[in-house]
This record gives sequence, C-alpha cells and structure tokens, in this order.
Amino acid sequence: MAMSELVYGLLFTSMVAVILAGFVCSTAGVYVVRMNLTALGFTMSHAAFAGAAFAIWRGFNPTVGALIFAVATALILGPVAEKARLKADVMLGFLFSLLMAMGFMFLNFAPGEAASSVALSIIWGSIFTVSAADALALAVLATVVVLFTVGFHKEIMATLFNRKLAESTGVHTRAIYYSVLFLTGLAVAFSLELVGGLLVFALIINPASTAYQFSNDMKQIIWMSPIIGIVTSMVGFVISWVTDLPTGSTIIIVSAITLAVAIAISPKRKRGGLKGAIPQAAVQ
Amino acid sequence: MVTDAVVMEDVSVVYEGERIAAIHQVDLEIPSGQFVTVLGPNGAGKTTLLEAINGLLPSTSGRVKVLGFDLATEGREVRKRTGYVIQNFALDPLDPFLCRDVVMMARAARIGTLRFPDEGDWDKVDQALEAVCMTAFAGRPVGKLSGGEFQKVLLARAMAQEPDLLLLDEPFANLDIDARREALRLLERWREDQDITVVMVSHDISKVPRACDRIVVIDKGRIVMDGPRNEVLASEDLTRLFGAWGDGDE
Repeated sequence: MAMSELVYGLLFTSMVAVILAGFVCSTAGVYVVRMNLTALGFTMSHAAFAGAAFAIWRGFNPTVGALIFAVATALILGPVAEKARLKADVMLGFLFSLLMAMGFMFLNFAPGEAASSVALSIIWGSIFTVSAADALALAVLATVVVLFTVGFHKEIMATLFNRKLAESTGVHTRAIYYSVLFLTGLAVAFSLELVGGLLVFALIINPASTAYQFSNDMKQIIWMSPIIGIVTSMVGFVISWVTDLPTGSTIIIVSAITLAVAIAISPKRKRGGLKGAIPQAAVQ
Repeated sequence: MVTDAVVMEDVSVVYEGERIAAIHQVDLEIPSGQFVTVLGPNGAGKTTLLEAINGLLPSTSGRVKVLGFDLATEGREVRKRTGYVIQNFALDPLDPFLCRDVVMMARAARIGTLRFPDEGDWDKVDQALEAVCMTAFAGRPVGKLSGGEFQKVLLARAMAQEPDLLLLDEPFANLDIDARREALRLLERWREDQDITVVMVSHDISKVPRACDRIVVIDKGRIVMDGPRNEVLASEDLTRLFGAWGDGDE
C-alpha cells in the first residue's frame, strides 16, 4: 500500500471519528446543560481520563478503562446528584483534583508509557491513535443516541422542562435521567483519545450552550446542537491538519470561540428577543 | 366504575432528615366526582397531602388507593390518570419551551412509550389552550409569559391530560380577579362535561370556590375538620382556627 493511501486512510478514519464524536457529545450536551448535570458530566470526563490512565498502567484498552470509570462515576454519583445531596462545587472541587491526581499517578506507575503517544492522547487527544474500531464504536453510539432522542422524544422533552411535572403525569423520569448519564459517559469515553481527557467535556458543553443562544424552542435546539458540534469539530480538525496544531485543543478553541460569539450576538439576550418587540395588543 | 377516587388509610409522610411528620395518620375518602378543597395555613401539610395522593411523595406508613390502583405498586398508572397543577413554579425567562409543547408534555405517558403524538393529540392540546384563552400564545416560549398566563398554561396542560382526578395546588394564586373567575368557570364547565374528581388546596378561606362540595381543614399535618362546604365555612371552629392562623380578616 502506498504511503499516501495510508495517510488518506488515517485521515478519513479520523475525520469520520471527529464528525461522530462531535455529534454524540453535542447531542448529549443538550440534555446535560438543561438538566444541570454539568458538574457531574465534568467529573465523569475526568473519571474517564483516570480510567484510561489506569488501563494503560494495567495494559488493557484505554477506551475500556475510560468507559468503566465514567459509567461507575455515573452510577455512584448519579443518585447523589439526583437528590441534590452534594453541591456541584463540592463535587467539582473534591473529585476533579482527586481524579486528575489518580490519572497522573496511574501514568506514573507505567514507566516508559507516560510519554507514549497513547498516554499523551488521553491527556491532550490525538487523531493518530484513532482506529477503525474506535470510529465504528462511535458510529454505534451515534445510532443509539439518535434512537434514544427520536424514540423517547416526548419523555425527554417533558423531563427537560420540569422533572417533577413530568413525573406527576406518569413519565419515567429516572429512566431518562440515567440514560442521559449513561450516554454521556459513553460519549466521553469514546471521544477521549480524540480530544483528550482534559478537553473532552468542552465538546459536550460548548455546542449545546451555543445552540441555546439562538432558539427559544427545545425541538430546534436538539437538532441545532449536533450540527454546531459537527461543524466546529470539522473546522477544528481541518485547521489542526493544515497547521499541525494539536487536534483536541484546536477543536475546543474553535467551539469556545463559536460560543463566545454566540453569547455576544445572541438575540435572546437583546430587548425584543428573537422576533423583536411586539405590542401587547397583538397577542391578546 | 370506582366509587372512591381516593382512599387514604392511616397515612403519614416524614421528609428525609426530618423527625416530625408533615402529615400524620391521615384517613381520607374522596368519592368519585367530588370537588374537595383542602384548607389550611402555610406549612400545614396541604401540598404534602396532594403529593401523597399522586405518589410524588411516598408515604412513610399507611395505605393509599387512588382510582382503584394501589399507589405503592401502581403509582405510575395513578399519575397517568391524575392531573397536577403545581404551586410556585419558578420560570426562567430563557426557558426554551413553547406553550403548545408544554401542554403536549402532559399527554406523553398517556400516548405511550415509542409512540408519537397524532393529530388527535394535538387537537386536544389546541382545545385545552383555547379553553383557557391562550390560543394566541401557543407558539410563544413559556419563559416570556406572566405568572397568570403561565398558570393558565398549567391548567390547559392538566386538561389536555384528560385526567380522572385533578390535583390543584393553590391554582389561582397568581391570577387577578377576572382571570380567577374565568378559571373557576372553566373548571366548573370541565366538571360538568367530564365527571372528574377535584382536590384543590388553598390557604385562603375567601377563595373556596362555590362549586366545591366539601372542605377538609388540615393543621399541623392532621385533619382537624371535614364536612360539606357551607357547614364548615359556617363553623365557629373554622373562624377560631383562621383567627389563630392570622388569615381571618381576608
């Protein structure tokens, strides 16, 4: 196989993975942002980093390690966060530092591995460690996310609006809550090597927060966020490819700039809102 | 046909981390089709009583049967058939939900998992919005509504659910006099059309609707009076209680 074919093959696999990661993370982000699960999701992404580091130390697949740690965090902290027994800043302050320390400690236990490309990729992200199997796993996850979003649209909308009201009409809100946590854990774990453990959560928060700036309709936000996620990820990917900058960092900087611009120009924050001021009589 | 919409036997609710029961050894039977007002001061346990009826708050002891279902094992079936208009809903002005969608949400469990709302469901939603004179607001985000307008949307939401039992927690608190009269007329019309049971909570003796059949007075988590509307309102005990609560001059 010619060298150029290898490079293009790698480029294609990476691009597909970036598109899929952008899609799953930004879709999960809509739910995470609205359900005030930011602190929990942030903790899960750092648990995924610690899990991947643990896997490198013990010699198994980092994605599997990330998956186990992220889902375990969701299962342990989910009930605590659900009943608001632990304040978000306490969760962040205590667990963020602990999980980061654990991650670096695990990498330190693996002498010779700490500076390897895999170890660096779970910290900062790398497109060169993405395999066809990783892209396939992301494709399967993207399908699950689509099925969840479409199949449970009514229940998701009701839960996102107000959990207590939704529960009062018979919606199984706990199932929706844990599905969101579980899907977020999977999205974080599968995107970790691509974007890096320190940055992956931004891929969840930024596109969703950008979409929230432009619409008063949750139905629109649910499809706008993945589009923004895919576009910003692609733009970041192309810039990093052309300029040889780190992919994860470039994607996150592009999505952060997009969010900053969105906040600055958001019609929701202007007098008159999305459609401009109208006289009261017009709606009577 | 279930003869009693609500049967509570020796029901107590103690909140997590608390020692004192919010409601204590409550026995209550509400026949189908009755309109009951639960009257009591702030903190008496009125909202707790409502949420013990629809199972949002699990009872610590006792037994609750609603619409023929045992709440302990079939709570979700009860909630599918029970409308609940919540008190003090904190609206965020940036809430990205349209009125029509908020009303449709009440039908989510009724429509069923993995099924989509059909034209009939949307018709029910539009009829409910029309009944509360909120058709013009259907496409507006709820965050932009006033407290009274949103209260009407919550009423429409409960109507669209087509419940057999309706729980109203201070439903007219944010409404001005005209809107309150309008909502009460709507409620009466609704009861005439469909034989629903209504349990309404109020802390204000002057706001007990004329259409109400029965008043249950609750104080410190216990039922202290229970009887036909006019009898309870005329009772000296009630005057004494309201004097003690500081609400007697309203």
